[in-house]
Amino acid sequence: MESSITKEDAVITAYRAHGWTYVRGVAPHAILGELTGRNIAVSPHEMAGRTSGCAKGKGGSMHMYTKNFYGGNGIVGAQVPLGAGIAFGLKYENKPNICVTLYGDGAANQGQLFEAYNMAKLWNLPCVFVCENNGYGMGTSVERASASTDYYTRGDYIPGMRIDGMDVLAVREATKFAREYALNNGPILIEAATYRYHGHSMSDPGTSYRAREEIKEMRETRDPITVFRRKILECSLVTPEELKKVDIEVDKEIDKAADQAKKDPEIPLGELYNNIYIHPDPDYTVRGCDPSIRVISH
Amino acid sequence: MAAPAKTILRRFRHTGVLKELSKVTSLNFARAAHFTYVPDTPPAVYGDTTRMNLVQAINNTLDLTLATDPTAVLFGEDVAFGGVFRCSNELKNKHGGDRVFNSPLSEQGIVAFGIGLAVGGATAIAEIQFADYIFPAFDQITNEAAKFRYRSGNLFDCGKLTIRTPCGAVGHGALYHSQSPEAFFAHIPGIKVVIPRGPYQAKGLLLSCIRDPNPCVFFEPKILYRGAIEEVPTKDYTLPLSQAEVVQEGNDVTLVGWGTQVHVLLEVAKIAQEKLGMSCEVIDLRTILPWDSDTICKSVVKTGRLLVAHEATHTMGFAAEIAATVQSECFLNLESPIERVCGYDTPFPHVFEPFYIPDQWKCLEGIKKLVNY
Repeated sequence: MESSITKEDAVITAYRAHGWTYVRGVAPHAILGELTGRNIAVSPHEMAGRTSGCAKGKGGSMHMYTKNFYGGNGIVGAQVPLGAGIAFGLKYENKPNICVTLYGDGAANQGQLFEAYNMAKLWNLPCVFVCENNGYGMGTSVERASASTDYYTRGDYIPGMRIDGMDVLAVREATKFAREYALNNGPILIEAATYRYHGHSMSDPGTSYRAREEIKEMRETRDPITVFRRKILECSLVTPEELKKVDIEVDKEIDKAADQAKKDPEIPLGELYNNIYIHPDPDYTVRGCDPSIRVISH
Repeated sequence: MAAPAKTILRRFRHTGVLKELSKVTSLNFARAAHFTYVPDTPPAVYGDTTRMNLVQAINNTLDLTLATDPTAVLFGEDVAFGGVFRCSNELKNKHGGDRVFNSPLSEQGIVAFGIGLAVGGATAIAEIQFADYIFPAFDQITNEAAKFRYRSGNLFDCGKLTIRTPCGAVGHGALYHSQSPEAFFAHIPGIKVVIPRGPYQAKGLLLSCIRDPNPCVFFEPKILYRGAIEEVPTKDYTLPLSQAEVVQEGNDVTLVGWGTQVHVLLEVAKIAQEKLGMSCEVIDLRTILPWDSDTICKSVVKTGRLLVAHEATHTMGFAAEIAATVQSECFLNLESPIERVCGYDTPFPHVFEPFYIPDQWKCLEGIKKLVNY
């Protein structure tokens, strides 16, 4: 999707955000630094003001942010009205930009989404809603959670389309189309049919509500990278050696980033109290665990 | 582009970073919890007991309820396959998919639906997957559930509703899997708010909540789900609501807490006895609303010193209500100002969690302040 939008377009998504954080411009070691709670020195790759793991190590895995990337949101569905709001902001400032607002099939049943759809259509906001339908809301399959699993129609008065989310080229083209549409006509909804290999989180093995064969089959026949790799090799657009080179370079880069993330200093304890309010009064103090502890907050 | 991103992500798995993280966040890793669980011994009069952890005790309670009450239904996100914490394990197989079923991802819908079910006459047990997610339902709880009986002059009520939800710090929960929102709910007349400290308490209190003819919110400290193991009576038994329990008697300082914090306070009492020669009375409040002020005040009259501790944030945490009431009722009995040891006034932090929670050392400092006033 990133290839079809510009750096000035906004993106907001839910908690499975590591990939988006990377494509939106955060260096791998800043992502890993966020996971390990590190304070990373300013590097040329990072935006001014973000001196550390991209959220100073305060957000963790679910809360990663950078310029024009609004996270990284833990509460399911909450990011969708936020996305509509961001789109409104972009339109208000007459910027030729859209906001790509992603959510999952589980979130599709949250009431606040429909509130967002209404506002987006009413005010013709340049918002591209994307429903990443991976078939399961944590442990509940879509048939058991939604009365209508045609998520692309759930926008009702917002036009929608369903695409194969595992097909790299389809996603790119659909995003291009949607962006054009949103800038000229208003909100649009894309349902991307995709899949989740692992469980939802660390505590979910991912196998108690679906068959292992299903996961295996998906991996073999529909994995985006495997399929795309096969396509470009068959069309002789690249040679296997070139792809291997990419793999090796990526390996090296991530290993380096991981090492660096592990070595970087942890964020100082004082950060616990900061960023609660912006520009607090000079004598605003955060109460600590008992009435005698008061710390100045920045 | 999607391709490089996914390549990178696959590589993440092979580096050491996520493996180390998975060690830290794995439920099986023996990460030093900030407390040691102190098991209860149920009274012999309850008969045979089995060793259970909190998950099993709750599972047993729900099983009993579904077996004895034909109108009982259990629903929430992912409860059919057993729930994220396995509290509803096997219940669908035993009692049927029409009584134990998944709801869509819609907290407001879950609670509102539960209120309707309860008004219609079914015993509704709604599960909110994490207490941090309960806020979309807050309007329904405050404006509908709590006021149903009052506004209809007792013509209608949703007393058969019980909302269960895991709460509290767990070591790796960060902002949205660690909150203790009991104080928000303590502000709503019309509902009951209950927090158990262990399996034996949980079974008795949850059965009381389910059978109580008022809508109840039952918070389950998730860090105790697997870690809290003790003998729990196999038969049906209830424990009274709105009654605090003096877990350990003492004469010098009163310590009040609930849920996980009770175990922290029991350790603090031990340390205070050894290091300071102070005998502490530890009280588990159990029901946050309506709370048992008599037991607390009686204890403060005896000791003259009160410390209340909880994981929730300091400002307007429930300790504030306890402190205000106690100073009003027992002013002349107090030897020193009431100490509150709570979470900091910040969002629940990710990496700072060990620093944030009111552990035994912070509570001990509080006792020292009380004693040296």
